[in-house]
Amino acid sequence: MAEQLTDDELSAAFAGEPSGFGAVYTAIAPAVLGYFRARGVDDAEALTQDVFVNVLPKLAKVTGGPTGLQTFIFSVAHARLVDHRRRAERTPYLAEYDPRDDTRYAPSAEDEVLGSLGGVTDSLSRLNEEQREVLVLRIVADLSIEQVARIMDKSPGAIKQLQRRGLTALRELVTEKDHAAS
Amino acid sequence: MTGTREPQQDGGIQAMLRDSGLEAAAELRSSLEELRALVPGEAPAPRADLAALLAASSRGSAAASAPDFVDETLPAGVTSLAERRGRKRRLAIVGGAVLGAMTLGAGAVAASSGDFRETFSHSVGTIFQPAGKMPDTAPTPALPSPADVPAAPAPTSNATGAPTPPLGQAPGAPGAAAAAPAKPGTPATPPAVGHVEVLPTPPHRPVAPGTSALPSPGGDKGLPTEPTLPGVLPALPGQP
Repeated sequence: MAEQLTDDELSAAFAGEPSGFGAVYTAIAPAVLGYFRARGVDDAEALTQDVFVNVLPKLAKVTGGPTGLQTFIFSVAHARLVDHRRRAERTPYLAEYDPRDDTRYAPSAEDEVLGSLGGVTDSLSRLNEEQREVLVLRIVADLSIEQVARIMDKSPGAIKQLQRRGLTALRELVTEKDHAAS
Repeated sequence: MTGTREPQQDGGIQAMLRDSGLEAAAELRSSLEELRALVPGEAPAPRADLAALLAASSRGSAAASAPDFVDETLPAGVTSLAERRGRKRRLAIVGGAVLGAMTLGAGAVAASSGDFRETFSHSVGTIFQPAGKMPDTAPTPALPSPADVPAAPAPTSNATGAPTPPLGQAPGAPGAAAAAPAKPGTPATPPAVGHVEVLPTPPHRPVAPGTSALPSPGGDKGLPTEPTLPGVLPALPGQP
């Protein structure tokens, strides 16, 4: 994704010139949006835009080329997600009434089957918080182990461990679901 | 965009699986690819404040997809923010003014309420009462005084009359210095009595011994004699 940026655009963005902002936004915003969606945020677009409003004026301070830019943007996104989760814990959940979300009814057999077929995010949500974050950053945001380590403030070895455990647990969940579905 | 990325993605996922020793897990791999599909093909349309940020860039160099919505929303976004900021300041000023007015109003209400006014006027009254009541009390005793109270000074002035000032009062002056000047000026006696009704009586008791020396021929137990004298008292004001 960051590789799509030309050198001119990158250098303009790093120089703090607004001419690079649009290019950075179009190149990286989809991955940020995907990251928030994969983490199950209800208003992922709003958070994505928050991240870029926050990040774009500070691009002049970023060092490390395209990977540095990616790391910077996703560390802001990670912090935003943590803030969002904390705020969501404290505020009541407001949503329109949707009969399909009403848990007082037993799900239909079709829904059960369909849900067990799709829903990576559903099985992802059963992993623990750190494993989920590592997998989403690695796969959706397409970051390297080192970048994820910097964002989550851990050592690369710890990230590798989390990734391995997360993948194993996810595999169990997926195969279990396949067995249940078949 | 996706065409250039997909080989990388697959490589990325495969490398991840290989790192974790899970390259054989086909269903895991497909679900990971599904996860990656959550990344949309295009950036979402920026909202007003972000568009304002991007607008500056689109002027310099025409960005790929941004300029369309940017040009429309820029002025609206910028002006609305400025307005909001001004409104906030105005709100703070108005709030301060309202607070000040409310404290003033509360003070005025407290001052105008019955209780507060009563207690205030009462306290002011008690401060000025001694001076204010003095004239009030003075005339009232003046009415009974001719009957009873002046009786005490009356005998001194009557009995000693002209002779007392030179005779007995001069020696008795240290004892009844206050009574002595009062006697020559008999009209001054009503205020002297009026001061406090207690005041004349103490003079009486000391004076009584003093006067007892004078009217000793009249008798030491002059108390009954004094009531007899009031009959003479009305004559006293009549004399001068």
